[in-house]
Parts: sequence; C-alpha cells; structure tokens
Amino acid sequence: MSNPIVRNIPIIELLKERKSSVMNFAGPLLGLSILVVLLSIFTPYFWNSANLLNVGRQAATNIIIAAGMTLVIFTGGIDLSVGSVMALAASVSIVAITHFGVNLWLGILICLAVGALCGLLNGLVITKGRVPDFIATLGMMSFARGLALLVTDGMPIPYFGIAVRPMPKEIIAFGAGHILGIPTPFFIALVVILITWFVSKNTRTGRHFFAVGGNKEAARVSGISVEKTKLTAYMFSGLFAGVAGIVLAGRLNSANAHMGSGAELDAIASVVMGGANLFGGEGALGGTLVGGVTIAVLNNGLNLLAVSPFWQEVAMGAVVVAVVIFDQWRRRRFLIK
Amino acid sequence: MKAQLLNLFNISKAYPGVQALKEVDFDLRHGEVHFLLGENGAGKSTLMKILSGSVQKDTGIIQMDGKEIEIISPQDAVKQKIAMVYQELSLFPNLSVGENVLAGMLPVKKGSHLVDWKEINRKTKEILDELGLDISPTTPVADLGVGTRQLIEIGKAISRQAKVLLLDEPTSALSVHEIEKLYSIVEKLLQKGIGIVYVSHKLSEIPRIANRVTVLRDGHKIGTIDADQATESDLIRMMVGREVSEKYPKDKVKIGKTLLNVTGLTLGKRVKNVSFHIKKGEIVGIFGLMGSGRTSLARALFGLENCIDMNVSIGGNTTKINNPKDAIKAGLGYITEERKMGLVLRMAIAYNITFPILKKILRFGMIDHKSERKTSLSCIEKLHIVTPHMMRLVENLSGGNQQKVALGRWMCNESKVLILDEPTRGIDVGAKVSVYKLIGQLAKEGAGILLISSELPEVMGISDRILVMSKGELVAEFTREEADSDIIMTHAVGGKVSEGGRLI
Repeated sequence: MSNPIVRNIPIIELLKERKSSVMNFAGPLLGLSILVVLLSIFTPYFWNSANLLNVGRQAATNIIIAAGMTLVIFTGGIDLSVGSVMALAASVSIVAITHFGVNLWLGILICLAVGALCGLLNGLVITKGRVPDFIATLGMMSFARGLALLVTDGMPIPYFGIAVRPMPKEIIAFGAGHILGIPTPFFIALVVILITWFVSKNTRTGRHFFAVGGNKEAARVSGISVEKTKLTAYMFSGLFAGVAGIVLAGRLNSANAHMGSGAELDAIASVVMGGANLFGGEGALGGTLVGGVTIAVLNNGLNLLAVSPFWQEVAMGAVVVAVVIFDQWRRRRFLIK
Repeated sequence: MKAQLLNLFNISKAYPGVQALKEVDFDLRHGEVHFLLGENGAGKSTLMKILSGSVQKDTGIIQMDGKEIEIISPQDAVKQKIAMVYQELSLFPNLSVGENVLAGMLPVKKGSHLVDWKEINRKTKEILDELGLDISPTTPVADLGVGTRQLIEIGKAISRQAKVLLLDEPTSALSVHEIEKLYSIVEKLLQKGIGIVYVSHKLSEIPRIANRVTVLRDGHKIGTIDADQATESDLIRMMVGREVSEKYPKDKVKIGKTLLNVTGLTLGKRVKNVSFHIKKGEIVGIFGLMGSGRTSLARALFGLENCIDMNVSIGGNTTKINNPKDAIKAGLGYITEERKMGLVLRMAIAYNITFPILKKILRFGMIDHKSERKTSLSCIEKLHIVTPHMMRLVENLSGGNQQKVALGRWMCNESKVLILDEPTRGIDVGAKVSVYKLIGQLAKEGAGILLISSELPEVMGISDRILVMSKGELVAEFTREEADSDIIMTHAVGGKVSEGGRLI
C-alpha cells in the first residue's frame, strides 16, 4: 500500500497522538526507576538478586489480579470484590483437595470456576439488576468473604486433623517454585498479562471493552452488547482472582478466609499507576505490569526500611489516593482543552 | 441613544479544528434587544457561552458599563449580572417553581439555617407577577409545559437582578400564544434597562422585537445593522454568503422500489402510530420541532427504545428489530443527534469506523489488523476525511470530519437505509455542504435516507419527500415540489397552541 495514511505512520505522529498514553507509560516507568534508585541508595538490602526475586514473587498475585481489574476498568467499571473472591476460590479449592481428596487438577479447575462464577454474578447484578458497579462488587466483597469463612470455618486450610492429605507439592510449586531461577508466580503473572494484552488487542471483545468504557451510548448504537461486554470483563476479573488464589495458597502453603484482604486496593492502584483512565476507555496492560511491580517495590522498600506495618498501611492508602489525584490533575491539565 | 451596557472587542475562540470566533466585536446597550443571527456553526452559541462563562475566550476584551471584566466561569457571569436562559432548560423538574427561581439563594429565617418558605413564596410571587405569570410558586416545575418553563428561567434571571439577559432560541419550542407572552415580558424587561442578546433563526422575529441585528458567519462578524433598516433578503445574503443552490447541492437520482416500510410505529406517548416508507435512492426528510418525537422515532426504529410497537419490512422482508444489533443486521445505520453519542472520541478513526463490521474482518477469531486498516483507509479516502493518518483520535478532528467518520462507519457497513438525525448540527457551512454531498452520493449508490432535522431549509434543500411531525404524529407529507416553508411550519407547530399550552 502506497498511501501515506497507511504506509508509515511516523512514530512521532503516533506519539503526539497518544501523548497521554506515552506519558502513561513513561510516567510510571520513571516513577519506578526513581523508587528503585532511592531504595538502592537508602538500603543495602534492596539491590541484590535474592531480594529482587522476592519482589517479583510478591508482585505476582497483585499483577494477576490487576490484569483482570484492567479489563474491568477499561469498560468503565470497578471490581472491589477481587480480594474476597480470591480467598473464596482458594479456600473452596484447597478444602476440596486436602480435606476431601479431590484430584489436584480438578481442584484447580474448581478454583478457577469459583472465581469466574463470582465474576459472572457481579456482571449479572450490574447489567441485569442495574446496580452501580461499585455497590455490586462491594456486596460481593462481603458475600464472598463470608462464604470463605463458612467453607474454612475460619481455620487455615489444610487444617491439621481434618485434612486427608497435605498441600500438594504442585500448588506449592506454583507459589514458591522457580523456573530458570525466576519465581514461578512471576512467570504466571507474565503469562496472564500477555493473554490479557492479546485479548484486549486482537479480539472483538477486547475492542468492545474500550468502546463500552469510552462511550457506552456509542457502543450501543454500533450494535455492541454493553451487557455482554461488561459481563465478560467481570468474568475475567473473577477468573484471574481465582488464578491468584492458587498462586497465593501455594506461596503461603495454606489457604484461609482472610487472604487477599485489601487486594482490590493494590490492584486498582496498579492499574491507575499504569495510566489507565479510571473512568474507562483508555489504558494498556504494559502499564498495569509496571504499576504492579511499583506497588511491590514500594511494599518491599517500606519493609526493608523497617517501617511499621501499621504505617505501611497508612502509606499505601495515601499513595493510592495520591496517584489518582495526580492522574486526574494530569488529565485536566493535558487533555481537556 | 441608549447608554452602552456591554462592549466586546476582538473576541476570538478556537476549538480543535475549528475557528469558532475570529476577532468579533459586539456591543449591547441598555434597554435594547440585540439580535444575533447566523447559521448553525456561525459562532453564535460560542459567543453566548463566552458571555455566560461556560467557555473561555482565547483573546479579546469584555467591558461592562465601560469597565473591563473577566468572565472565566459561570459564577463570574452571575456576579457580573449576566444571565443565560438555556435552550436546554436548566431547571430542577422535581422542585417547585419557587425553589427553582431562587435556587442557590434560598432565603433563610433570621438567625438560623432553616429555609423560610413564606419568604420564598412571597418573593417568587412578586417575580411571577412582574412577568405576568399566573402560577403558584409551589407548583412543581415538572407539571409545567416547555414554554412556561422557559419563562420561569427568565424569572430566575430577574431574581438575580440580571443586567444582561442571553436568550438562546427562546421561541423554538413555544406556541404562538406563548411567543406573544415572551415578547411582552421582553418589553417589560427593556423598560427596566436590561439588555438582551437574542439568538434566533427566525428572521420574522426581527421586526417584532429587535433593535439591532448582528450577523455572524463562519466565526466572523459580517455586520451590524438597525433592525428597521434590515430587509430579509439582505440578512439572508449576509448570513449565507452564497447562493442557496450551492448550499444544498442536490443531484438527480433515480428512485427505485420501496426499501423500507414502517407501519404503526408507536412508542408510548412520544410516537403515535407513525407509518412511512423510503424508496431506493430516496431522501426522506422528517421535520419537527423540539419535542415533536422525531428523535424518538429514529431511536425506536433503530431498536434503542423499549416497548416499541411497529412493523418493519426492509426490501420486502418483514424484520424484527429489538436492539441495534438487529437493526444493523437488517441493513440500517443510525447517526445520532448528538455526535458525541455516536463516536468514541478518545479512540482512533480507524477503530471508530470498523466497530459495526469487526465481525467481517476477523481471521481465526482475531481482528485482522491489515484488513481493518484497508477498510478504514478506503473509507477515509471515499469520504475525504481530512486527517494526517487513520490512528488520529476522533476528538482531534473538526466537527465536520467527525461527522464524516460517523457516516463512514455506515458506508463501510453497506447499510441499505441510513437514519441521519441532525447530521449537520454544529459543523461549519463548508463541512455541511460536503456532508450533503455525501448524503447525495449515498442515495445515488442506492441507499434510502431518512433525514431528521430541525432546520427547515436543510430539509427542504435536500429531501425528495418531506414528512412533518408534531406531537408524536406524522401530520403532513409534501413532495419536494409542493414544499412551502410557511405551510410546513404551521403543521409543525400543530396549527394551533402547542404542547406548552398549559400557559395561562
């Protein structure tokens, strides 16, 4: 094709056009770099392979959840239930495997299914029940956490004395193993990010996520089913919460009803740090990856600097809100003419 | 001569892709109605928005009573006693007339924070009496007709002691009776020394109420003349700046057999038992005033409303349309009244064009990016969309080019029948002409067009047949040759007092 419009879109033009996305990407990357440099200076324990691998391991569950959250946020929604869904899915699955002797792979399938089902339920309540996204998922947050408590009876699973077998080594490998010296969970997170990226880029549904978040009415007029699109996004979110559940259970060598509390905050923070628009329609999975790593580095840094866990919680809350404030300011400043 | 109230010098304002105003001077005297005239996109609304603080000028000076003022927010405008009466009303329908009139400045009982209802009713009554409106201050606004609501808006402005009143198309939704009422209120306000900027399309209003007329065209000021010296033909020449035949290009197109047949379309009270047909190559215009049900008709036909009752056949086959997907499958295309409602602005042109046809460019279930680019490119070329490349975000295009993207989407989809709702609203004259040409081209290629518009010259200019809607019903039908603007207008307003007729 010789037409200039197609042949070569000059990269600089594209950059100009996507000024926001470039900043989206450059910004978080720059932030992460600064954080890394500062930590390397201020603590001798940060910049060594053992710690960095540890950061990768810690980042993994959050990145997996954030991948699903990214899709939900693309559609203009928000999923507050991911942490609870993760706990429920992991609890059900590990109880089935260790207490009832269910086959390992079937158990993992159950975990994913429970996650996806919770996502589906979120989606149905939002689209069919016309409940605002944050209320529906807030409800699910409590609902799933309660179910997780019921399933585990509030005990760590496998619970000594009831368990018919210990935590399978395969699951431990998912959470705590290595592949080529790199933590397995980080690999899994990368695969999840890649899959999500591929879906968002190359499938009809992926395109629809952006359309629905960018302009719901326009999507409808274009013959896109807004309901189906949102449903799919929430199912992805639930499914990935399930994946994260297995990984975390493996890492902890146990599942319990309290795991993943506050995970929604980390995930949302990662997505927004990655440059996605909280109001939908814009963003990129690469950004979410960077955002997820940043959160993990921040957590790790605060640990290394021996900041009290109470203050860490305060700091994380403040950071998340600060990121959103900055994001909103930047959009007003640079995007709205 | 009356004293100067407002002086604007060298006002310029640019939106991405459009110079909305270019070095425009404008002035308003105490106690005068200054008529602002121009076609859609001429810059009238922008000027009003600058004065009311909802957009900010790029350059220029605004003086009030000789002193320079800055208006950078609606609050500033209120502070400067400039009040805008919006076309799309800005009242709270769930609250009473009194609460609306005094919104934001509700009186409280002395030494407390409790609302003083007696005072509200007393003050409101005073203002309503001044306007000659016999309405109780406690009536919910939702119970009032459109016309009365507009007068309440004016009351709201008076309660704020406005010195400058901006009226945007105040009579577009009013009945003849209500218009008279409005005029008498305007005259009262003039006696109080208030200056009124009056935007309207209706030239017939000028001799009735205007003192002076300023004509804008494509963002430039063409001139200001005294109303009693203004002849209609002069004004039209100033407004249009070119011949009508150039403005509404229309080719002879062979009209074929019936393409779309709709019978008994009913949508609650908004659309009542409407039946019509469109033939191959035919452009059918639907004209109606605000609230006549024209947009509801389009939305219903495209499956965007619930509880629709209609029988549709396309190309002779009976078709069920329950949602836009069905409509698209059946070969319909729809361009929404608000351009922003139909486009995803923060997305590339290419993606916007291919939304409805993604299914056709899938390979192994994945989007075939190459074929997507090819489709978009051919569309961009065919429609002469002015852009450096197809990945440009739609929001960075001018209004006219945005509209072409919206049209292009359906051209690529090879829609058989296109529903165009106000396809030229808010785009400049040159772009309008090219949109008309595209519509003509689509008709020539065998599409049937349903053109919905509130601009009568446009409807008369490019339609083969004209249907008139009023209060949800089709009330008249004209061929291109029969069409007469006065007769059409009479039908459109229902020939008598219109729905706003709750006015007493």
